[in-house]
Amino acid sequence: MRNIIAIADKELRSYFASPIAYIIIGFFALPFGVFFYLYLEAFLRQSMQMAQFGGNLNVNQQVIRLVLQNASVIILFVMPMITMRTYAEEKRSGTIELLLTSPVTDFQIIVGKFLGALGLYIAMLLVTLLYVAILFVYGHPEWRPLVAAYLGLLLMGGAFLSVGLFISSTTNNQIVAGMVSFVVFLLLWIVGWFADSAGATVGPITSYLSITEHFEDFSKGVIDTKHVLYYVSLITFGLFLTAKSVDSERWRG
Amino acid sequence: MIEVQHLTKRYGRVTAVDDVSFRVERGEILGFLGPNGAGKTTTMRILTGYIPASEGRATVAGYDVFDQPIEAKRRTGYLPETPPLYPDMTVREYLDFVARIKGVAAAERRTRVDAVIQRTHIDDMATRHCGKLSKGYRQRVGLAQAILHNPEVLILDEPTAGLDPKQIIETRDLIRGLGGDHTIVLSTHILPEVSQTCQRVVIINKGRVVAVDTPENLTARLQGAETLYVEVDAGGADVPTALTAVPGVTRVAAADTRPGSGAFEVESERGRDVRRELARDIVTRGWGLLELRPMRMSLEEVFLQVTTEEPAAEEAPRA
Ligand SMILES: Nc1ncnc2c1ncn2[C@@H]1O[C@H](COP(=O)(O)OP(=O)(O)OP(=O)(O)O)[C@@H](O)[C@H]1O
Ligand SMILES: [Mg+2]
Repeated sequence: MRNIIAIADKELRSYFASPIAYIIIGFFALPFGVFFYLYLEAFLRQSMQMAQFGGNLNVNQQVIRLVLQNASVIILFVMPMITMRTYAEEKRSGTIELLLTSPVTDFQIIVGKFLGALGLYIAMLLVTLLYVAILFVYGHPEWRPLVAAYLGLLLMGGAFLSVGLFISSTTNNQIVAGMVSFVVFLLLWIVGWFADSAGATVGPITSYLSITEHFEDFSKGVIDTKHVLYYVSLITFGLFLTAKSVDSERWRG
Repeated sequence: MIEVQHLTKRYGRVTAVDDVSFRVERGEILGFLGPNGAGKTTTMRILTGYIPASEGRATVAGYDVFDQPIEAKRRTGYLPETPPLYPDMTVREYLDFVARIKGVAAAERRTRVDAVIQRTHIDDMATRHCGKLSKGYRQRVGLAQAILHNPEVLILDEPTAGLDPKQIIETRDLIRGLGGDHTIVLSTHILPEVSQTCQRVVIINKGRVVAVDTPENLTARLQGAETLYVEVDAGGADVPTALTAVPGVTRVAAADTRPGSGAFEVESERGRDVRRELARDIVTRGWGLLELRPMRMSLEEVFLQVTTEEPAAEEAPRA
């Protein structure tokens, strides 16, 4: 555990030691803010009209849910930037030789790197919580669905990170790692689009594979174990593949 | 302390290390000598558990590097060919991180880091980013990193590469100082380094061990062809022709490029001492014998001989 923390800590520091962390957070927080502003404005306009007719609108459904669904797309673009260096850069610079000759296991290195990346991702999510806090100042959103939505974001991001970590472990070129990750993430996202047109048998499968599809329920404030299980399995699978990749690299030299 | 048995490493069809065996005793400094591509780095990578061997086994401090890698790694310090530094970290941050993954207890970490900073003379650079260090300092930080957890065994891949002459001397002193407490294997293709720092040498070429001995013994053992230094006052006579006629002499060459000089290198058949015959011949010719002494071969020559004497080594690089 001590080794995992040491490596996670080093990863996290290395993000913040270079401009990378700030660029990534900016890349995420700015579009998030724009979406937030647009949906909030639309919501306020609508609720003003509704108030005249005596109706009531739900902030959670009308603002938070829509913003977070859009956020899941931004995440898709940002995640490759977080994971592309993790292994590729260590392999290029030779620092992997330090890690692999230290008394730490592959598992500890992989989990450490994953947690480090997750740490940066959590920092990104914390920044977006500042926006959400505005809602609490001016309104009374429910906090339970909000927690569910953020748990969903965390799990979905974790799944992206774990797949990205694997892709980074297969090359020593971080640009290649970043681009391949982006394409793979994109596929994991758009595969869900074919669900409707794919017919009765293939449809559910493509929809099941889609990484963002499983976020739907979370964004509505529902925690379904089915989706939790999906993300946790994907994370485990990604880390497992990374372990395989690191080990086979060792045998090939 | 280190035991290597029939180690073989193949990369596809390339055999980088071929049936290498040797032992290193506790406290000994072993030199690993060989030209480029000899398999030094590959052997060290196997010893440190970075890559597995294709065949054979190796134990470090009694632990098999393949079956008990964590125990072996705990007792090994390793300076790879390129010092494994993180450019964004300062030297101190870096050493602190290394201390953590090497398992140095939190309470001792600071003192250990300070100690190696002192020992490798990198105090001035402690707050500098690793990416901004000169080659020599990177090498020193790499060395600091290797000795950080006070390992029993040190594996140093070309520890003096890229250092200036003053730093080379400092580093050799440092390594000699570490010997005794630590068991050290260092690789190099700089020959004087071996005779100055190592108690024993493994000469490796094209993946195979060619010789294992002390630097002194190697010099003596491989002194196949005796070379004598002869200086005569011949008054302008043709010395080379005359000396080549002496029985046992195989070759005579001018030892001094200045014309008219009477200094020559005389090579004789392997194991045959021609000093008496040579002296008698010179004196009977009425020349003045100014000097006659055996030339001790430098390790450099030994090395060249070793690597070029192998039948398969016709294109061995001249070091
Ligand atoms: N990862 C690898 N894949 C394929 N071949 C390799 C690999 N690493 C080394 N080799 C080959 O193995 C042989 C030995 O290389 P090694 O790096 O061990 O030599 P060395 O003695 O350290 O040389 P140098 O003095 O140049 O550092 C070389 O022929 C090299 O090309
Ligand atoms: Mg080498």
